[in-house]
Amino acid sequence: MAFSPWLSAPAALFLIAFFVLPLTDNALRSVASQAAAGANYLKLLTDPYYLWVIGVTIALSAAVTLASLVLGYPIAYFLVRKAGRWSSLIIFLTVAPLLTSIIMRTFGWRVLFARRGLLNVLLLDAGWIERPLALLNSPVSVVVGLVHVLVPFMVLSIASVLQGINPRLGESARILGAGRMRTFWLVTFPLSLDGIATGSILVFMLANGSFVTLLLLGGGSLQTLPLLIYQQFTTTRDFAFGAAMSNVLLVLALLCLLLQLVLIRRRGVKT
Amino acid sequence: MIRRLLPRKVRAESCAPDAALLLYVVLFFAFMLLPIIIVVVVAFSATEYITFPIQGVSLRWFRRIYEYRPFFNSLRVTLEIAFLSALFGALLGVPAALALTRWKHPIASLAMTFLLSPLSMPFIVLGFALLFFLSAVGFGASFLSLLIAHTVVSLPYVVRTVAGVYRGLSPNLEESALVLGASKWQAFRYVTLPMIRPGIFAGCLFAILLSVDNLPISFFFGSPATSTLPVVMLSYLENSFDPSIAAVSTVQLVFALTFLLVIERFYGLKGMAPAS
Repeated sequence: MAFSPWLSAPAALFLIAFFVLPLTDNALRSVASQAAAGANYLKLLTDPYYLWVIGVTIALSAAVTLASLVLGYPIAYFLVRKAGRWSSLIIFLTVAPLLTSIIMRTFGWRVLFARRGLLNVLLLDAGWIERPLALLNSPVSVVVGLVHVLVPFMVLSIASVLQGINPRLGESARILGAGRMRTFWLVTFPLSLDGIATGSILVFMLANGSFVTLLLLGGGSLQTLPLLIYQQFTTTRDFAFGAAMSNVLLVLALLCLLLQLVLIRRRGVKT
Repeated sequence: MIRRLLPRKVRAESCAPDAALLLYVVLFFAFMLLPIIIVVVVAFSATEYITFPIQGVSLRWFRRIYEYRPFFNSLRVTLEIAFLSALFGALLGVPAALALTRWKHPIASLAMTFLLSPLSMPFIVLGFALLFFLSAVGFGASFLSLLIAHTVVSLPYVVRTVAGVYRGLSPNLEESALVLGASKWQAFRYVTLPMIRPGIFAGCLFAILLSVDNLPISFFFGSPATSTLPVVMLSYLENSFDPSIAAVSTVQLVFALTFLLVIERFYGLKGMAPAS
Protein backbone atom coordinates (compact mmCIF):
# COMPACT_ATOMS: atom_id res chain seq x y z
CA MET A 1 0.00 0.00 0.00
CA ALA A 2 1.54 3.28 -1.04
CA PHE A 3 1.01 6.11 1.37
CA SER A 4 0.86 9.52 -0.23
CA PRO A 5 4.23 11.29 -0.09
CA TRP A 6 2.32 14.35 1.16
CA LEU A 7 2.00 12.65 4.55
CA SER A 8 5.61 13.63 5.13
CA ALA A 9 4.84 17.31 4.52
CA PRO A 10 3.87 18.24 8.13
CA ALA A 11 7.10 16.78 9.50
CA ALA A 12 9.18 18.47 6.80
CA LEU A 13 7.44 21.81 7.36
CA PHE A 14 7.95 21.53 11.10
CA LEU A 15 11.66 20.96 10.65
CA ILE A 16 11.98 23.74 8.09
CA ALA A 17 10.32 26.13 10.52
CA PHE A 18 12.09 25.08 13.70
CA PHE A 19 15.35 23.56 12.51
CA VAL A 20 16.45 25.03 9.17
CA LEU A 21 15.23 28.59 9.78
CA PRO A 22 16.78 28.93 13.27
CA LEU A 23 20.14 27.66 12.03
CA THR A 24 20.04 30.00 9.03
CA ASP A 25 18.99 32.85 11.28
CA ASN A 26 21.90 31.97 13.55
CA ALA A 27 24.32 32.00 10.63
CA LEU A 28 23.06 35.42 9.56
CA ARG A 29 23.17 36.84 13.08
CA SER A 30 26.85 35.98 13.39
CA VAL A 31 27.67 38.30 10.46
CA ALA A 32 24.91 40.91 10.52
CA SER A 33 25.01 42.43 13.97
CA GLN A 34 28.60 43.59 13.76
CA ALA A 35 29.40 46.68 11.70
CA ALA A 36 32.25 44.88 10.00
CA ALA A 37 30.61 41.76 8.62
CA GLY A 38 32.62 38.70 9.39
CA ALA A 39 34.68 40.36 12.11
CA ASN A 40 33.58 37.56 14.41
CA TYR A 41 34.96 34.93 12.11
CA LEU A 42 38.17 36.87 11.62
CA LYS A 43 38.56 36.85 15.39
CA LEU A 44 37.67 33.16 15.64
CA LEU A 45 39.91 31.98 12.86
CA THR A 46 42.97 34.20 13.37
CA ASP A 47 43.19 34.95 17.11
CA PRO A 48 45.65 32.38 18.54
CA TYR A 49 43.44 31.84 21.60
CA TYR A 50 40.38 30.84 19.60
CA LEU A 51 42.44 28.76 17.18
CA TRP A 52 43.79 26.98 20.24
CA VAL A 53 40.26 26.39 21.51
CA ILE A 54 39.16 24.95 18.15
CA GLY A 55 42.29 22.78 18.15
CA VAL A 56 41.59 21.56 21.71
CA THR A 57 37.98 20.74 20.75
CA ILE A 58 39.10 18.60 17.82
CA ALA A 59 42.02 17.01 19.68
CA LEU A 60 39.83 16.11 22.66
CA SER A 61 37.20 14.53 20.42
CA ALA A 62 39.91 12.61 18.56
CA ALA A 63 41.42 11.34 21.82
CA VAL A 64 38.01 10.28 23.14
CA THR A 65 37.22 8.54 19.82
CA LEU A 66 40.51 6.65 19.83
CA ALA A 67 40.14 5.61 23.47
CA SER A 68 36.55 4.47 22.87
CA LEU A 69 37.67 2.45 19.88
CA VAL A 70 40.50 0.71 21.73
CA LEU A 71 38.34 0.04 24.80
CA GLY A 72 35.14 -0.79 22.92
CA TYR A 73 36.39 -3.07 20.14
CA PRO A 74 37.18 -6.08 22.37
CA ILE A 75 33.75 -5.74 23.98
CA ALA A 76 32.02 -5.76 20.60
CA TYR A 77 34.13 -8.76 19.57
CA PHE A 78 33.28 -10.59 22.79
CA LEU A 79 29.59 -9.76 22.41
CA VAL A 80 29.35 -11.14 18.88
CA ARG A 81 31.78 -14.06 18.95
CA LYS A 82 32.12 -15.31 22.52
CA ALA A 83 29.17 -14.22 24.65
CA GLY A 84 26.75 -16.87 23.41
CA ARG A 85 23.79 -17.06 25.77
CA TRP A 86 25.25 -14.18 27.81
CA SER A 87 24.86 -11.77 24.92
CA SER A 88 21.58 -10.26 26.21
CA LEU A 89 23.31 -9.51 29.50
CA ILE A 90 26.24 -7.87 27.71
CA ILE A 91 23.85 -5.75 25.61
CA PHE A 92 21.93 -4.76 28.73
CA LEU A 93 25.13 -3.79 30.56
CA THR A 94 26.27 -1.76 27.57
CA VAL A 95 22.99 0.09 27.17
CA ALA A 96 22.09 0.48 30.88
CA PRO A 97 24.45 3.42 31.54
CA LEU A 98 22.59 5.32 28.80
CA LEU A 99 19.54 5.28 31.09
CA THR A 100 21.32 7.29 33.76
CA SER A 101 21.49 11.04 33.53
CA ILE A 102 24.72 12.61 32.41
CA ILE A 103 24.79 14.57 35.65
CA MET A 104 24.60 11.34 37.65
CA ARG A 105 27.63 9.87 35.94
CA THR A 106 29.67 13.05 36.17
CA PHE A 107 28.75 13.25 39.84
CA GLY A 108 30.00 9.68 40.32
CA TRP A 109 33.34 10.52 38.73
CA ARG A 110 33.67 13.59 40.94
CA VAL A 111 33.25 11.44 44.03
CA LEU A 112 35.79 8.92 42.69
CA PHE A 113 38.36 11.44 41.52
CA ALA A 114 38.16 13.90 44.40
CA ARG A 115 41.31 14.76 46.33
CA ARG A 116 40.16 12.52 49.15
CA GLY A 117 38.08 10.37 46.85
CA LEU A 118 37.99 6.62 46.56
CA LEU A 119 40.70 6.36 43.93
CA ASN A 120 43.24 8.50 45.77
CA VAL A 121 42.53 6.74 49.07
CA LEU A 122 43.06 3.33 47.48
CA LEU A 123 46.27 4.39 45.73
CA LEU A 124 47.62 5.99 48.94
CA ASP A 125 46.79 2.90 50.99
CA ALA A 126 48.50 0.69 48.44
CA GLY A 127 51.54 2.92 48.75
CA TRP A 128 51.69 3.56 45.02
CA ILE A 129 51.56 7.33 45.42
CA GLU A 130 52.96 9.67 48.07
CA ARG A 131 50.33 12.41 47.91
CA PRO A 132 46.84 12.59 46.38
CA LEU A 133 46.79 13.02 42.61
CA ALA A 134 45.00 16.07 41.22
CA LEU A 135 42.70 13.99 39.02
CA LEU A 136 39.60 16.13 39.22
CA ASN A 137 39.49 19.24 37.02
CA SER A 138 42.14 17.85 34.72
CA PRO A 139 42.04 16.67 31.09
CA VAL A 140 42.32 13.08 32.42
CA SER A 141 38.97 13.20 34.18
CA VAL A 142 37.36 14.85 31.15
CA VAL A 143 38.55 12.09 28.82
CA VAL A 144 37.49 9.36 31.28
CA GLY A 145 34.07 10.98 31.72
CA LEU A 146 33.50 11.39 27.97
CA VAL A 147 34.68 7.87 27.12
CA HIS A 148 32.31 6.52 29.75
CA VAL A 149 29.40 8.34 28.13
CA LEU A 150 30.27 7.56 24.50
CA VAL A 151 31.86 4.10 24.43
CA PRO A 152 28.47 2.30 24.27
CA PHE A 153 27.83 3.92 20.87
CA MET A 154 31.17 2.58 19.63
CA VAL A 155 30.48 -0.93 20.95
CA LEU A 156 27.04 -1.09 19.32
CA SER A 157 28.27 0.27 15.97
CA ILE A 158 31.14 -2.23 15.74
CA ALA A 159 29.05 -5.14 17.01
CA SER A 160 26.40 -4.62 14.33
CA VAL A 161 29.05 -4.92 11.59
CA LEU A 162 30.88 -7.85 13.26
CA GLN A 163 27.53 -9.62 13.37
CA GLY A 164 27.46 -9.65 9.59
CA ILE A 165 30.91 -11.21 9.14
CA ASN A 166 30.78 -14.92 8.49
CA PRO A 167 32.80 -16.68 11.24
CA ARG A 168 33.72 -19.34 8.66
CA LEU A 169 36.16 -16.86 7.11
CA GLY A 170 38.22 -16.70 10.28
CA GLU A 171 37.98 -20.45 10.76
CA SER A 172 39.25 -21.03 7.24
CA ALA A 173 42.26 -18.87 7.99
CA ARG A 174 42.94 -20.89 11.13
CA ILE A 175 42.69 -24.21 9.32
CA LEU A 176 45.05 -22.91 6.66
CA GLY A 177 47.57 -22.39 9.43
CA ALA A 178 47.26 -18.71 10.39
CA GLY A 179 47.68 -18.00 14.11
CA ARG A 180 45.02 -16.33 16.22
CA MET A 181 46.52 -12.87 15.97
CA ARG A 182 47.27 -13.19 12.28
CA THR A 183 43.71 -14.31 11.60
CA PHE A 184 42.31 -11.41 13.56
CA TRP A 185 44.49 -8.72 11.95
CA LEU A 186 44.29 -10.06 8.38
CA VAL A 187 40.69 -11.28 8.27
CA THR A 188 38.32 -10.12 10.98
CA PHE A 189 39.72 -6.64 11.60
CA PRO A 190 39.74 -5.44 7.95
CA LEU A 191 36.19 -6.71 7.51
CA SER A 192 35.04 -4.69 10.53
CA LEU A 193 36.48 -1.37 9.29
CA ASP A 194 32.99 -0.20 8.30
CA GLY A 195 31.78 -0.51 11.89
CA ILE A 196 34.91 1.24 13.14
CA ALA A 197 34.28 4.13 10.75
CA THR A 198 30.59 4.45 11.67
CA GLY A 199 31.29 4.26 15.40
CA SER A 200 34.21 6.67 15.22
CA ILE A 201 32.30 9.34 13.31
CA LEU A 202 29.37 9.01 15.73
CA VAL A 203 31.55 9.27 18.84
CA PHE A 204 33.60 12.12 17.36
CA MET A 205 30.43 14.04 16.54
CA LEU A 206 28.92 13.53 19.99
CA ALA A 207 32.20 14.42 21.71
CA ASN A 208 32.42 17.63 19.67
CA GLY A 209 29.12 18.87 21.02
CA SER A 210 29.43 17.84 24.66
CA PHE A 211 29.79 20.41 27.39
CA VAL A 212 28.29 19.06 30.61
CA THR A 213 31.20 16.69 31.22
CA LEU A 214 33.70 19.45 30.48
CA LEU A 215 31.90 21.87 32.73
CA LEU A 216 31.68 19.53 35.73
CA LEU A 217 34.88 17.50 35.38
CA GLY A 218 37.19 19.87 33.52
CA GLY A 219 37.16 22.75 35.97
CA GLY A 220 38.50 25.09 33.28
CA SER A 221 41.52 22.94 32.51
CA LEU A 222 40.26 22.51 28.96
CA GLN A 223 38.47 25.17 26.91
CA THR A 224 36.40 23.90 24.01
CA LEU A 225 33.89 25.49 21.65
CA PRO A 226 30.72 24.18 23.37
CA LEU A 227 32.06 25.37 26.72
CA LEU A 228 32.77 28.83 25.30
CA ILE A 229 29.28 28.97 23.78
CA TYR A 230 27.87 28.11 27.19
CA GLN A 231 29.96 30.86 28.77
CA GLN A 232 29.01 33.41 26.09
CA PHE A 233 25.43 32.67 26.97
CA THR A 234 25.70 32.71 30.76
CA THR A 235 28.35 35.36 31.46
CA THR A 236 29.85 37.27 28.52
CA ARG A 237 26.56 37.61 26.63
CA ASP A 238 28.19 38.40 23.29
CA PHE A 239 25.52 36.55 21.34
CA ALA A 240 26.81 37.38 17.87
CA PHE A 241 30.14 35.85 18.77
CA GLY A 242 28.37 32.89 20.37
CA ALA A 243 26.46 32.42 17.12
CA ALA A 244 29.73 32.52 15.15
CA MET A 245 31.22 29.86 17.41
CA SER A 246 28.17 27.64 17.11
CA ASN A 247 28.48 27.96 13.33
CA VAL A 248 32.06 26.70 13.43
CA LEU A 249 30.81 23.76 15.50
CA LEU A 250 27.99 23.29 13.00
CA VAL A 251 30.45 23.14 10.09
CA LEU A 252 32.42 20.46 11.94
CA ALA A 253 29.20 18.49 12.42
CA LEU A 254 28.26 18.88 8.75
CA LEU A 255 31.67 17.59 7.70
CA CYS A 256 31.14 14.50 9.87
CA LEU A 257 27.65 14.06 8.42
CA LEU A 258 29.03 14.30 4.89
CA LEU A 259 31.69 11.70 5.70
CA GLN A 260 28.97 9.46 7.10
CA LEU A 261 26.85 9.82 3.95
CA VAL A 262 29.83 9.03 1.72
CA LEU A 263 30.51 5.88 3.74
CA ILE A 264 26.88 4.80 3.64
CA ARG A 265 26.69 5.36 -0.11
CA ARG A 266 29.91 3.42 -0.70
CA ARG A 267 28.54 0.53 1.30
CA GLY A 268 25.29 0.66 -0.67
CA VAL A 269 23.21 0.74 2.49
CA LYS A 270 20.06 2.80 2.41
CA THR A 271 19.57 5.19 5.30
CA MET B 1 33.16 -28.92 15.64
CA ILE B 2 35.73 -26.92 13.77
CA ARG B 3 37.96 -27.35 16.74
CA ARG B 4 38.70 -30.97 15.98
CA LEU B 5 40.14 -30.01 12.63
CA LEU B 6 42.66 -27.65 14.17
CA PRO B 7 46.20 -28.77 15.02
CA ARG B 8 46.59 -29.74 18.70
CA LYS B 9 48.91 -26.81 19.41
CA VAL B 10 46.23 -24.37 18.27
CA ARG B 11 43.59 -26.04 20.41
CA ALA B 12 45.72 -25.75 23.56
CA GLU B 13 46.69 -22.14 22.96
CA SER B 14 43.14 -20.93 22.43
CA CYS B 15 42.14 -20.94 26.11
CA ALA B 16 44.50 -18.30 27.49
CA PRO B 17 43.42 -15.44 25.19
CA ASP B 18 39.78 -16.23 25.93
CA ALA B 19 40.44 -15.95 29.66
CA ALA B 20 42.26 -12.65 29.13
CA LEU B 21 39.38 -11.33 27.05
CA LEU B 22 36.87 -12.41 29.69
CA LEU B 23 38.89 -10.67 32.40
CA TYR B 24 38.96 -7.52 30.28
CA VAL B 25 35.18 -7.68 29.75
CA VAL B 26 34.63 -7.90 33.52
CA LEU B 27 36.96 -4.94 34.16
CA PHE B 28 35.28 -2.93 31.42
CA PHE B 29 31.80 -3.33 32.88
CA ALA B 30 33.16 -2.58 36.34
CA PHE B 31 34.37 0.71 34.84
CA MET B 32 30.96 1.31 33.26
CA LEU B 33 28.97 0.60 36.42
CA LEU B 34 31.31 2.02 39.06
CA PRO B 35 30.30 5.70 38.92
CA ILE B 36 26.63 4.76 38.83
CA ILE B 37 26.87 2.45 41.85
CA ILE B 38 28.82 5.07 43.77
CA VAL B 39 26.11 7.67 43.21
CA VAL B 40 23.38 5.27 44.36
CA VAL B 41 25.36 4.53 47.55
CA VAL B 42 26.11 8.20 48.23
CA ALA B 43 22.37 8.95 47.98
CA PHE B 44 21.89 7.06 51.25
CA SER B 45 24.59 8.85 53.22
CA ALA B 46 23.80 10.46 56.55
CA THR B 47 26.43 13.21 56.44
CA GLU B 48 26.24 16.76 55.09
CA TYR B 49 29.37 16.25 53.03
CA ILE B 50 30.20 13.51 50.57
CA THR B 51 32.48 10.70 51.62
CA PHE B 52 32.94 7.30 50.15
CA PRO B 53 32.47 4.79 51.71
CA ILE B 54 29.59 6.62 53.39
CA GLN B 55 29.34 7.10 57.14
CA GLY B 56 25.89 6.12 58.33
CA VAL B 57 22.81 5.39 56.32
CA SER B 58 19.79 7.67 56.08
CA LEU B 59 17.00 8.74 53.78
CA ARG B 60 17.32 12.45 54.57
CA TRP B 61 18.49 13.34 51.05
CA PHE B 62 15.44 11.74 49.51
CA ARG B 63 13.28 13.87 51.82
CA ARG B 64 15.25 16.88 50.62
CA ILE B 65 14.06 16.24 47.06
CA TYR B 66 10.54 16.88 48.24
CA GLU B 67 11.48 19.85 50.42
CA TYR B 68 13.62 21.63 47.83
CA ARG B 69 10.80 22.82 45.59
CA PRO B 70 12.85 23.48 42.41
CA PHE B 71 13.63 19.74 42.18
CA PHE B 72 10.05 18.76 42.58
CA ASN B 73 8.62 21.42 40.26
CA SER B 74 11.15 20.77 37.52
CA LEU B 75 10.42 17.05 37.61
CA ARG B 76 6.88 17.82 36.52
CA VAL B 77 8.04 20.10 33.70
CA THR B 78 10.56 17.46 32.61
CA LEU B 79 7.98 14.68 32.39
CA GLU B 80 5.38 16.85 30.64
CA ILE B 81 7.92 17.96 28.05
CA ALA B 82 9.23 14.42 27.54
CA PHE B 83 5.83 12.83 26.98
CA LEU B 84 4.36 15.69 24.93
CA SER B 85 7.41 15.95 22.68
CA ALA B 86 7.30 12.19 22.09
CA LEU B 87 3.58 12.47 21.30
CA PHE B 88 4.05 15.32 18.79
CA GLY B 89 7.14 13.61 17.43
CA ALA B 90 5.00 10.54 16.75
CA LEU B 91 2.07 12.52 15.27
CA LEU B 92 4.43 14.18 12.79
CA GLY B 93 6.95 11.39 12.41
CA VAL B 94 4.84 8.24 11.90
CA PRO B 95 3.03 9.48 8.74
CA ALA B 96 6.31 10.80 7.38
CA ALA B 97 8.10 7.49 7.96
CA LEU B 98 5.26 5.54 6.29
CA ALA B 99 5.14 7.93 3.33
CA LEU B 100 8.87 7.95 2.65
CA THR B 101 9.83 4.31 3.27
CA ARG B 102 8.19 2.86 0.16
CA TRP B 103 8.20 5.94 -2.04
CA LYS B 104 10.43 5.05 -4.99
CA HIS B 105 11.72 8.45 -5.93
CA PRO B 106 15.15 10.06 -5.54
CA ILE B 107 13.54 12.73 -3.38
CA ALA B 108 12.44 10.10 -0.86
CA SER B 109 15.92 9.25 0.41
CA LEU B 110 16.87 12.93 0.37
CA ALA B 111 13.78 13.79 2.43
CA MET B 112 14.58 10.95 4.84
CA THR B 113 18.11 12.25 5.33
CA PHE B 114 16.66 15.69 5.97
CA LEU B 115 14.17 14.40 8.57
CA LEU B 116 16.98 12.56 10.40
CA SER B 117 19.50 15.40 10.23
CA PRO B 118 18.67 17.06 13.60
CA LEU B 119 20.24 14.01 15.25
CA SER B 120 23.61 14.91 13.75
CA MET B 121 23.63 18.49 15.00
CA PRO B 122 25.34 19.34 18.27
CA PHE B 123 22.40 19.96 20.63
CA ILE B 124 24.07 23.02 22.10
CA VAL B 125 24.06 24.66 18.65
CA LEU B 126 20.42 23.71 18.16
CA GLY B 127 19.42 25.08 21.57
CA PHE B 128 21.33 28.30 21.08
CA ALA B 129 19.90 28.92 17.60
CA LEU B 130 16.34 27.99 18.61
CA LEU B 131 16.22 30.26 21.63
CA PHE B 132 17.07 33.35 19.58
CA PHE B 133 14.80 32.35 16.74
CA LEU B 134 11.81 31.60 18.98
CA SER B 135 12.38 34.80 20.94
CA ALA B 136 12.37 36.77 17.69
CA VAL B 137 9.13 35.05 16.65
CA GLY B 138 7.64 35.99 20.00
CA PHE B 139 7.57 32.68 21.89
CA GLY B 140 10.45 33.52 24.20
CA ALA B 141 11.64 31.19 26.95
CA SER B 142 8.24 29.56 27.41
CA PHE B 143 6.92 26.04 27.88
CA LEU B 144 5.88 26.08 24.22
CA SER B 145 9.41 26.97 23.08
CA LEU B 146 10.86 24.19 25.19
CA LEU B 147 8.32 21.76 23.75
CA ILE B 148 9.15 22.80 20.17
CA ALA B 149 12.88 22.41 20.82
CA HIS B 150 12.44 18.93 22.26
CA THR B 151 10.11 17.88 19.45
CA VAL B 152 12.79 18.79 16.88
CA VAL B 153 14.85 15.97 18.46
CA SER B 154 11.99 13.52 19.17
CA LEU B 155 10.69 13.60 15.61
CA PRO B 156 13.76 12.06 13.93
CA TYR B 157 13.95 9.34 16.59
CA VAL B 158 10.40 8.23 15.83
CA VAL B 159 10.96 8.49 12.07
CA ARG B 160 14.09 6.34 12.31
CA THR B 161 12.60 3.51 14.34
CA VAL B 162 9.25 3.43 12.53
CA ALA B 163 10.97 3.48 9.11
CA GLY B 164 13.25 0.66 10.29
CA VAL B 165 10.30 -1.53 11.28
CA TYR B 166 8.15 -0.64 8.27
CA ARG B 167 10.97 -1.34 5.81
CA GLY B 168 11.20 -4.90 7.15
CA LEU B 169 7.50 -5.64 6.52
CA SER B 170 6.23 -7.24 3.35
CA PRO B 171 3.99 -4.92 1.28
CA ASN B 172 1.94 -8.03 0.42
CA LEU B 173 0.18 -7.97 3.79
CA GLU B 174 -1.47 -4.62 3.11
CA GLU B 175 -2.11 -5.55 -0.53
CA SER B 176 -3.94 -8.70 0.60
CA ALA B 177 -6.15 -6.65 2.88
CA LEU B 178 -6.97 -4.28 0.01
CA VAL B 179 -7.65 -7.17 -2.38
CA LEU B 180 -9.98 -8.73 0.16
CA GLY B 181 -12.03 -5.58 0.15
CA ALA B 182 -10.65 -3.53 3.03
CA SER B 183 -10.69 0.21 2.55
CA LYS B 184 -7.34 2.03 2.66
CA TRP B 185 -8.18 3.25 6.15
CA GLN B 186 -9.09 -0.27 7.32
CA ALA B 187 -5.88 -1.69 5.84
CA PHE B 188 -3.94 0.93 7.74
CA ARG B 189 -5.90 0.58 10.96
CA TYR B 190 -5.96 -3.23 11.14
CA VAL B 191 -2.82 -4.28 9.25
CA THR B 192 -0.17 -1.53 9.13
CA LEU B 193 -0.70 0.05 12.52
CA PRO B 194 -0.53 -3.14 14.63
CA MET B 195 2.66 -4.14 12.83
CA ILE B 196 4.50 -0.84 13.22
CA ARG B 197 3.38 -0.39 16.82
CA PRO B 198 6.68 -1.73 18.28
CA GLY B 199 8.53 0.83 16.17
CA ILE B 200 6.33 3.67 17.40
CA PHE B 201 6.79 2.63 21.02
CA ALA B 202 10.54 2.18 20.63
CA GLY B 203 10.89 5.59 18.98
CA CYS B 204 8.80 7.26 21.68
CA LEU B 205 10.73 5.45 24.40
CA PHE B 206 14.06 6.69 23.05
CA ALA B 207 12.65 10.16 22.55
CA ILE B 208 11.39 10.29 26.15
CA LEU B 209 14.62 8.97 27.66
CA LEU B 210 16.66 11.43 25.61
CA SER B 211 14.38 14.36 26.35
CA VAL B 212 14.53 13.80 30.11
CA ASP B 213 18.31 14.12 30.02
CA ASN B 214 18.66 16.70 27.26
CA LEU B 215 20.46 19.40 29.17
CA PRO B 216 22.10 21.12 26.16
CA ILE B 217 18.70 22.00 24.72
CA SER B 218 16.73 22.62 27.90
CA PHE B 219 19.45 24.80 29.37
CA PHE B 220 18.76 27.73 27.01
CA PHE B 221 15.08 27.94 27.89
CA GLY B 222 15.69 28.17 31.60
CA SER B 223 13.10 30.29 33.36
CA PRO B 224 11.48 29.34 36.66
CA ALA B 225 8.48 27.96 34.78
CA THR B 226 10.44 26.02 32.19
CA SER B 227 13.49 24.65 33.97
CA THR B 228 13.80 20.92 33.50
CA LEU B 229 15.34 18.66 36.11
CA PRO B 230 18.88 18.51 34.63
CA VAL B 231 18.98 22.31 34.41
CA VAL B 232 18.02 22.65 38.07
CA MET B 233 20.52 19.95 39.02
CA LEU B 234 23.30 21.69 37.13
CA SER B 235 22.71 25.04 38.78
CA TYR B 236 22.44 23.29 42.17
CA LEU B 237 25.77 21.54 41.54
CA GLU B 238 27.46 24.81 40.67
CA ASN B 239 26.69 26.15 44.14
CA SER B 240 26.78 23.15 46.43
CA PHE B 241 28.12 19.62 46.31
CA ASP B 242 25.96 17.55 48.66
CA PRO B 243 24.29 14.12 48.43
CA SER B 244 20.90 15.49 47.35
CA ILE B 245 21.96 15.38 43.70
CA ALA B 246 22.82 11.71 44.23
CA ALA B 247 19.34 11.11 45.66
CA VAL B 248 17.63 12.83 42.70
CA SER B 249 19.76 10.84 40.25
CA THR B 250 18.87 7.59 41.99
CA VAL B 251 15.16 8.36 41.80
CA GLN B 252 15.59 9.20 38.12
CA LEU B 253 17.38 5.92 37.51
CA VAL B 254 14.63 3.96 39.24
CA PHE B 255 12.04 5.74 37.08
CA ALA B 256 13.96 4.94 33.89
CA LEU B 257 14.45 1.29 34.83
CA THR B 258 10.79 0.85 35.79
CA PHE B 259 9.71 2.50 32.57
CA LEU B 260 11.95 0.19 30.57
CA LEU B 261 10.71 -2.89 32.42
CA VAL B 262 7.07 -1.96 31.86
CA ILE B 263 7.72 -1.52 28.14
CA GLU B 264 9.64 -4.80 28.08
CA ARG B 265 6.77 -6.56 29.79
CA PHE B 266 4.14 -5.33 27.34
CA TYR B 267 5.98 -5.02 24.07
CA GLY B 268 9.34 -6.77 24.42
CA LEU B 269 12.65 -5.05 23.84
CA LYS B 270 13.80 -7.38 21.08
CA GLY B 271 12.57 -5.28 18.19
CA MET B 272 13.56 -2.06 19.83
CA ALA B 273 17.18 -1.81 18.84
CA PRO B 274 17.47 1.34 16.78
CA ALA B 275 17.37 0.38 13.12
CA SER B 276 20.39 1.75 11.28
